[in-house]
Amino acid sequence: MISGANPSAAPELLRVSGVEAPLQQPGTLRALWGRFRHDRLATAALAILALIVVICIAAPLTSPHDPLATQAVNRLAPPGSPGHLLGTDGAGRDLLSRLIWGGRISLMTGVAPVVIGLLVGGLFGLLAGYYGGVTRTVIMRCVDVLFAFPAVLLAIAIAVTLGAGTRNVIIALAVVLVPSVARVTESATISACSQEYIEAAKASGVNDASIIVFQLVRNVASAPLAYCFSIIGPVIVFAAGLNFLGLGIQPPDPEWGSMLYSLQSSLLFAPLTSIVPGVPIAIAALLFDVIGNAVRDVLDPRLA
Amino acid sequence: MLSYAARRVVLLVPVLLGATVVVFGLIHLIPGDPAGALLGPTSSDATRAAFRHDLGLDQPLPIQYGVWLWHVLHLDLGISIARRQPVISIVWEAFQHTLLLAAVAALLANVVGLFLGIVAATRQFGIADRAAMGFAALATAIPSYWLGLILVVLLALKVQIFPTGGMTSAIDGGSPFDIFWHLVLPAMAAGAAPAGIVARTVRASVLEVLRLDFVQALRARGFSESTILFRHIVPNAFPTILTVMGLQAGYLLGGVAFVEVVFSWPGIGNLLFLSIGQRDYPVILGVMLFVSFVFVLLNLAVDLMHAALDPRVRTSVAA
Repeated sequence: MISGANPSAAPELLRVSGVEAPLQQPGTLRALWGRFRHDRLATAALAILALIVVICIAAPLTSPHDPLATQAVNRLAPPGSPGHLLGTDGAGRDLLSRLIWGGRISLMTGVAPVVIGLLVGGLFGLLAGYYGGVTRTVIMRCVDVLFAFPAVLLAIAIAVTLGAGTRNVIIALAVVLVPSVARVTESATISACSQEYIEAAKASGVNDASIIVFQLVRNVASAPLAYCFSIIGPVIVFAAGLNFLGLGIQPPDPEWGSMLYSLQSSLLFAPLTSIVPGVPIAIAALLFDVIGNAVRDVLDPRLA
Repeated sequence: MLSYAARRVVLLVPVLLGATVVVFGLIHLIPGDPAGALLGPTSSDATRAAFRHDLGLDQPLPIQYGVWLWHVLHLDLGISIARRQPVISIVWEAFQHTLLLAAVAALLANVVGLFLGIVAATRQFGIADRAAMGFAALATAIPSYWLGLILVVLLALKVQIFPTGGMTSAIDGGSPFDIFWHLVLPAMAAGAAPAGIVARTVRASVLEVLRLDFVQALRARGFSESTILFRHIVPNAFPTILTVMGLQAGYLLGGVAFVEVVFSWPGIGNLLFLSIGQRDYPVILGVMLFVSFVFVLLNLAVDLMHAALDPRVRTSVAA
């Protein structure tokens, strides 16, 4: 019997050493959800966020007007105007409809880079932490180089060189996120690799790929996952900021950040209307912040 | 300590070389022909070919990199297309403005964050704690560029206390007070998010020290709470706090970019934004290169300070 090769044997070993709690055992996902649900604030935030996501995905059904339909009269209407709940922009387009349609892009450009960053950075971190030696040196020195630039400026520079567009904003943000995820994963992997079950697996001749896939991933995942959940909010703000600078989606297509920028010139005449597009950015970031904190507490109580 | 510092400085060399490779790579990521991008769409094929030859763009990449690096080492970052001036002098001037804004914003963020964090930690789960952490959550969630716009509406348009943008007044501008007057709103907008992050970290690290046995021992010996807090707890938590403060200051170096655009503050973020519109690639790359060097040195300074204050770092983080 090869105890180390059997993934379900790992947690027993862990429990004996008493260093780390087992994660993602059968039913553990349900246990995690159970712990998450105890946080009433986070559960409420998740419900509101789900509602916003559904409204944005169902934009053709939920938006009251065509987001691109302009009108010569009724421009820069204040929030609360009849027929236009949140007012209209400088071209007379309905702001609520544009926010609902824009939410698709804004939420996607906030979440997609984090997912890409988690997968790519996680892979590099696992490889660096598991193999050590030259592999680790090469990967982590590359990470160091990317850390030599302030994140905001690096993302701007990459987005500029790739050219404007939603896809390029996502790529630029993902590149900026990869190094930090890799660092978090690497240090978690190194401490996991010093555990007995990895040694047992290696001693019993399990190949590296199986060890990484069946043993390491599940035991290392909590740190990078917790980290990634905590940065979705800032990344949404950041992504909208790149759109604010005109690096993302091109007008007249709606997106929260670019809407905010195009309304900036109307600040003097219609101050209230002009700051409306910032509201959903802040709300989304706040909701993800609350959820991210709860997820971190659930996944890794030591970080709390 | 000296050997730790020396090791860290030596490790800088490959990182900085790597940064130059990244910036050089960005030049060649620019879609299409760099000569066309730099000379504009109206240039003829002959001028483009001559331009390529002048810049050595017809040479193999490693040679191009070597020549470019040689120029960079001599502080020659090329000529701005839009302004016909050396990139280095444009970037240097803008950088000073950014440094001023980032320093004031960092000061504001760190003072507010330190205060809120200590208040929150000493009254854990009390009303003050909840209020401080609620503020921190809001401050980190609100986009700096949006907060900037709100501040403009409230304090520059409705109540005309502060100017809406720029760094100096058009008439009789340029005095230290005039610049400070223009600094207030952008510094507030840029400093809010770091203030929230610092407050959270200070709270967490003070709470961590509060749990230690020696605090209990000090209480048992009858020291007052304020003596325990300021003589023992804060100094113990300080290395961690200092690192986060330094990281936030470093973040602001790039993070003020959005605020600079909102307030037309003539810093590197604004320069980058204008250069994007003008496709002024030499300036964009000059900014990246310059800022990365400053950023790396700043991070080194933070690490060295942390090591000087906390001997555990010097011995454990040797690699």
